Amino acid sequence: MPIEMGRLFDLGLMTLLVLCALAVVRTKDLLAASIIFSAYSLVMCLVWDHRGAPDVAMTEAAVGAGVTTVLFLSAISKTVRKER
Amino acid sequence: MSLFEAIRNAAAVVLVCTGSFFFLVGTLGLIRFPDFYSRTHGATKCDTVGAGSILLGLALLRGLHADVLKILAIISLVLLTSPTAGHALARAAYRTGLRPWTRLVGGGGGDAD
Amino acid sequence: MKRALVIALLAAVAMPLLLAAARMPRFGSVEQPAYTHVARRYLERGAEEAGAENIVTGVILNYRGFDTNGEVTVIFTACAAVAAVLACSGEGRRPVRAGTPVALSPVVRYVVRLLAPFIALFAFYVVVFGEVSPGGGFQGGTVFGALIIVTTVVVGRDEAERLSPERPRLWLQAAGPLSFLAVGTVGALLTGWYLGFPHVPRAIAASMLMALEFGIGVGGAMVLAGIFWRLGDEA
Repeated sequence: MPIEMGRLFDLGLMTLLVLCALAVVRTKDLLAASIIFSAYSLVMCLVWDHRGAPDVAMTEAAVGAGVTTVLFLSAISKTVRKER
Repeated sequence: MSLFEAIRNAAAVVLVCTGSFFFLVGTLGLIRFPDFYSRTHGATKCDTVGAGSILLGLALLRGLHADVLKILAIISLVLLTSPTAGHALARAAYRTGLRPWTRLVGGGGGDAD
Repeated sequence: MKRALVIALLAAVAMPLLLAAARMPRFGSVEQPAYTHVARRYLERGAEEAGAENIVTGVILNYRGFDTNGEVTVIFTACAAVAAVLACSGEGRRPVRAGTPVALSPVVRYVVRLLAPFIALFAFYVVVFGEVSPGGGFQGGTVFGALIIVTTVVVGRDEAERLSPERPRLWLQAAGPLSFLAVGTVGALLTGWYLGFPHVPRAIAASMLMALEFGIGVGGAMVLAGIFWRLGDEA
């Protein structure tokens, strides 16, 4: 049975999501971790849109990839960059 | 399929393929280039030329439709923001004292890690 | 002794919860109430009942209005909590006026100035057209909040703060819960229940939804900007 294109796309996105999530947890450098987290949000945004939820995708793109990263960065700049 | 349509489709395919090629090359550059400045350069090329020509190809495929206006708006947004982001990154790096890589200096070009 | 007491107490709380969970329909089962009648009702009659073409908006603000009321309150509480924590950590909370260590480029400044009106217009569009297309108060508010943050970073805080003046800022940040309170009260006067929406003149329900969208949008944007500014304050 041939795999549909949409399913394949979904599968690739899910794999990327899991990889990003693992990378966020494993990274000791908090600056790098927040950038990877923003990449995670971007992939998540694609997943939402692909699953037919453009509302949530918009919020995810603006909050997850945009504002949260900025807030994380300003929090890091007030504290230390390396996780102990 | 008329001749005109065949030409249009062919042009769209060529544009999308060019865009994908630039994305591939830009991503390779992001991974392989030696220092921050050249990586920024690679990534910015991806966004402008790659995304620009892919979107242009999609607009051609759509034909006369209101969606084409949206695609043109997206193209102008990308053409405006992506170089600006690259410029801001490179400038911030330069102003905070990151030295560009040269064959003589070598290594990571004074990269933080 | 104390440990045994804690375990006994936890077990006493956990038992009824686990029993209740065991009685719930299986996860993903078609017998869940959400699948048997609620979803069908939303899809079939949502457009006429809820006062919004976009069923998602109708569900969020009308059918599940209480949920959203709680969510909006949580968002405002988050802002208040950040303010409280950061205000406690230092005695004075003077904003930093020194500017960033790297002078900002005129190119970035020009592009942001060029794009800012378009971003603001897009945010407004997303809020207003949330009724008929994907979008709404949360989405538009976030876009506007991001615009305020970008303006703060690029053009400076003084200019950005003009978008949210000092005096009514607390009220603007509380716009979400306040709009729910106001619209809920109007609904109570019209229909007898808090957050009740009248069906018959569709315009009334639609304008109540619009008021909620604007409240959520303004509140969300101001909360995001408020948290960002607080983080920038000198502790």
